[in-house]
Amino acid sequence: MSNVSVRSVDAVPAPLLRAGKFLFDWIPLVILTVLWEYASGTAVPAEILPPPTRVVGEIQELIVSGEVYSHLFTSLFRIGVGLGLSIAVGVLLGIGMARLDPVEDFFEVLLALTYPIPKTALVPLAILWLGVGTETAVLIVFLACLLPIVLNAYNAAENVDKNLVWAAKMMGTDGRQLFRKVVIPATIPEILTGVRQAIPIAFIALVSAELIASDEGIGYLILTAGQVGNYPTMFANIVIISAVAFFAVRGYELLRERVLVWT
Amino acid sequence: MTERTLDGHVSISDLEKVYDDGAERTTAIKDLSFDIEGGEFATIVGPSGCGKSTLLYLVAGFLDETSGSIEVDGDPIDGPGTDRGVVFQDYALFPWRTVMENVTYGLEEQGYNKEERRSRAQKYIDMMDLSGFENNYPKELSGGMKQRVGLARTLAYDPKILLMDEPFGALDQPLRESLQDQLIDIWGDLDKTVVFVTHDVEEAVYLSDSVMVMTRHPGTKKNVTKVDLDRSQTREEIITSNEFTETKNDVWKSLREETQPEVQP
Repeated sequence: MSNVSVRSVDAVPAPLLRAGKFLFDWIPLVILTVLWEYASGTAVPAEILPPPTRVVGEIQELIVSGEVYSHLFTSLFRIGVGLGLSIAVGVLLGIGMARLDPVEDFFEVLLALTYPIPKTALVPLAILWLGVGTETAVLIVFLACLLPIVLNAYNAAENVDKNLVWAAKMMGTDGRQLFRKVVIPATIPEILTGVRQAIPIAFIALVSAELIASDEGIGYLILTAGQVGNYPTMFANIVIISAVAFFAVRGYELLRERVLVWT
Repeated sequence: MTERTLDGHVSISDLEKVYDDGAERTTAIKDLSFDIEGGEFATIVGPSGCGKSTLLYLVAGFLDETSGSIEVDGDPIDGPGTDRGVVFQDYALFPWRTVMENVTYGLEEQGYNKEERRSRAQKYIDMMDLSGFENNYPKELSGGMKQRVGLARTLAYDPKILLMDEPFGALDQPLRESLQDQLIDIWGDLDKTVVFVTHDVEEAVYLSDSVMVMTRHPGTKKNVTKVDLDRSQTREEIITSNEFTETKNDVWKSLREETQPEVQP
């Protein structure tokens, strides 16, 4: 009898199984939304916890009116620049620290000390230097993303398979070529993992920074809506930025899979 | 075989290698002198930890000797060079390169244009029975196929001397045997010196012109046994011949004394 049940599972066509898994993955979110809808207006007053149906309506309005786009664009621009800078600097620094002892000695203590600092705690200071706006937000995103990228690049470059380096040397590769032809490709998978870790951090850092001080951006919309008690708009913006972050990560992962066909 | 005067003569004298990690000095190799003729197939066997891989990597130029000298055709070696090609135990293929791109690597470094690289590489890919896998990545290959890619990659840039570090150690018996036979055929055709490290006595005697047994820690030359087998015979004829069995037993006994030092007088 037990055999029969195993066979019946095998008999389920693959697309149906995938659809089933997809539904299963989303069940917690569905349950949360249903509970939220139910709790709003019963357990918690609807004014301070607007129901999802209301929030969805608000999202629709933000999109139709086009109000959200310029702010979303600003936020994404800040993330793009901050993250891009942290990748450029982080990869160089991480690999440099792994391959050159003086570079490691020079930056090690600094990085170890700054690692535990919540980067948003630096926003007030950054405002003093750079003012309220894009520069401050970019700096905070950059600092928050830098460490995961440095650490992944550092670990990867430290652990490049010695035999691969030797194999390249025996075939006549040396110096900077060795870097380009072996060290960089060997570290790419872990660098891309660092970037994957940095993407959500970038969103967290950005919204936090914009909540503290900004004149535009999604964080600014959340803050101002909250301050005037417009909670449906506040929730709508939170949902929008969460969805954007979610798709950014998913899109990145698809891209990474295509780049790393060889792993 | 050793009468031929080919390039690829390796001369090692008074070689010593001490690993010094600051806290501890470990002598891996001591007082080691021996010669390998150009075109010779020389195998090194020894108990694990005797420094046989260290010796191979010293000849490759990956490691620096503490004292003594290693000369290839009369010139002291200075780091890795394309006159010597290593086949690694763990293959050491570039995982981000396809089979074809791995095999063309050395040719790329020597400045061949793309067409020449491909046609030269294809020759060795075909020789190693890898046709049809040119565009596969190493992760898609079995261990035996990976090692054939490793061998093709090293053969493709045509080093005079092949340095092989237990290349078939991770493979199962039938696969080992077929690769051993392939290697003998290639060696017979290509006039290369082979320095082959293994811990398998049968493999050593079956493949080689000479087998050097190394002593246990610190490693040095214990003895060298010349092997004279009729290469026109089949594997079965060779393995069951008296010469083969006797030579194998001699080497085995000599190695046995090193792996069981406690029973020595």
